[in-house]
Amino acid sequence: MNITINGTSRIVNAGPLTPLLHVLREELDVLSPKAGCQQGGCGTCTVLVNGEPRRSCLLPIAAVEGAEVRTVEGLASGGKLTPVQEAWIHHYAAQCGFCTSGFLMAATAYLEKGGSDDHAEIAAALGGHVCRCTGYVKIYDAVAAAARGESFDLATTAAGSRTTIRGVEL
Amino acid sequence: MTKHQGRGIAAIEYPTGMNQNGDPSQAWIKLKMDGRVDVFAGTVDIGQGSKTIHSQIVADTLGVPMDWVTMDTSNTDSSAFCMGTFASRGTFIGGNAVRLAAEKVRGRILEIGGELLEIDPGDLEIIDGEVVAKGSPDKKIGVGDIAGAATFVKGELISGQGTALKEYATLDPETGAVTIPPHSAISYAACAAEVEVDVETGDVRVLKLTQVYDVGCAINPTMVEGQIEGGAIQGLGLGLLENCYPYYPSAEHRGGQFGSYLAPSMEDLPELECIILENPSADGPFGAKAIGEMANNAQPPAIAAAIYDAVGIWVTELPITPEKVLRALEAKAAGQPESTRDGKVVRYDEALSMSSFQAAESAVRFAV
Ligand code: FES
Ligand code: FES
Repeated sequence: MNITINGTSRIVNAGPLTPLLHVLREELDVLSPKAGCQQGGCGTCTVLVNGEPRRSCLLPIAAVEGAEVRTVEGLASGGKLTPVQEAWIHHYAAQCGFCTSGFLMAATAYLEKGGSDDHAEIAAALGGHVCRCTGYVKIYDAVAAAARGESFDLATTAAGSRTTIRGVEL
Repeated sequence: MTKHQGRGIAAIEYPTGMNQNGDPSQAWIKLKMDGRVDVFAGTVDIGQGSKTIHSQIVADTLGVPMDWVTMDTSNTDSSAFCMGTFASRGTFIGGNAVRLAAEKVRGRILEIGGELLEIDPGDLEIIDGEVVAKGSPDKKIGVGDIAGAATFVKGELISGQGTALKEYATLDPETGAVTIPPHSAISYAACAAEVEVDVETGDVRVLKLTQVYDVGCAINPTMVEGQIEGGAIQGLGLGLLENCYPYYPSAEHRGGQFGSYLAPSMEDLPELECIILENPSADGPFGAKAIGEMANNAQPPAIAAAIYDAVGIWVTELPITPEKVLRALEAKAAGQPESTRDGKVVRYDEALSMSSFQAAESAVRFAV
């Protein structure tokens, strides 16, 4: 079977009912989608299939034959991150990072469809994704900033955290 | 009107680190020949940001830009020993270890810089990667040049190690008294919750959490904020949603899949206001104290108190599910004695509490 991952056609040996997640991670070495619950409940395995966010743990590869599958590996091009990836870094939207790939792909689909920075709309689009670390605040901030078209100089982000620790006299 | 609003508040104090004998973290730092800095420490970054924060502490202690500092990913083979990432000890204890190691490296940079500049090291400081004579800033030499001279002229690797170790206590066998203070540093926090309770469905929605955390010194304020926000939503989950046995407390009824353990999602996100206070600790690196584990403690009691404020019932068992709210409302309407909470004293149903202790054949007894 042939499936197209991030614009490249790949030959897959696994059987047609094998979940796309397993094929990506174990056969094709595409490691950004994470195996969380593997029951459709957490969102961390989310990839885009023809531009729609799909839980790859529940998707048999037979269902993606001939479709265009996108993962985080396919976001940046020529070493340039996408605006939402830059927003993620700028806003410190990842802590452990386990949820990040799924959120990034769902946010990418949301923004490609012209999603706004409205809190309720972002929450509806990303509400099915679990993040145990961040409390969602900085994830929301990142997606909203990308929706507003803000751009970031990541060198300055690093400088922000580099500034001298505010001296506290003991 | 089925929806009622209320506000409640709760506070927490949190002792940083293990607070018993020992609890060491170690670090080793070496200066490369171009002045760039390699840090080896065992503090594991699980997303809380210890790699960034340790790098900041090293950069500021040495006086070099942060992007000169690389902290090796902690691992069993090459890292110095660390007791672990728990008890909110990373910044306080691991951070002290890298600070002590960096101070030794700084001392050696100043000594060699003093030799090269022919100035007493005590009259030198390190600013932005350069060793500069105090008061005459044109007399200076780059840290990279010093590291190069050490490597190629003196035949020396500039390095430093540090260990943060809590002093061992001697125990008086007669009285049990110990000779050292029991705590290293105490963080304080309070959380005010605003909730809306629907008396028809028992549903509770948290509208706003206002949280104030005294962390000593926020070495990286954005990361401290991340801990407070993440803890707030974990606390909201503990208060209202998360339960391994959602129906009745026996194993057959536990959730069979991921989705039956309810964790908050982005749609549960209330308005959050986070305020960071900085009352420095005497022992922490740059005055820092703990934040990690304390961040999800104050929300559940604040939410419970807000529910009392809204509808006059105390739910004394977490999570406060719609079922528990409705049962408590029913009991109140039927005039049954309710659970009460006065300050820190919780009055349980005595017979029930005792029978649960006795059923477990525990030796523990407590007076109510
Ligand atoms: S791993 Fe697919 S939804 Fe959790
Ligand atoms: S960053 Fe850890 S789960 Fe989201």
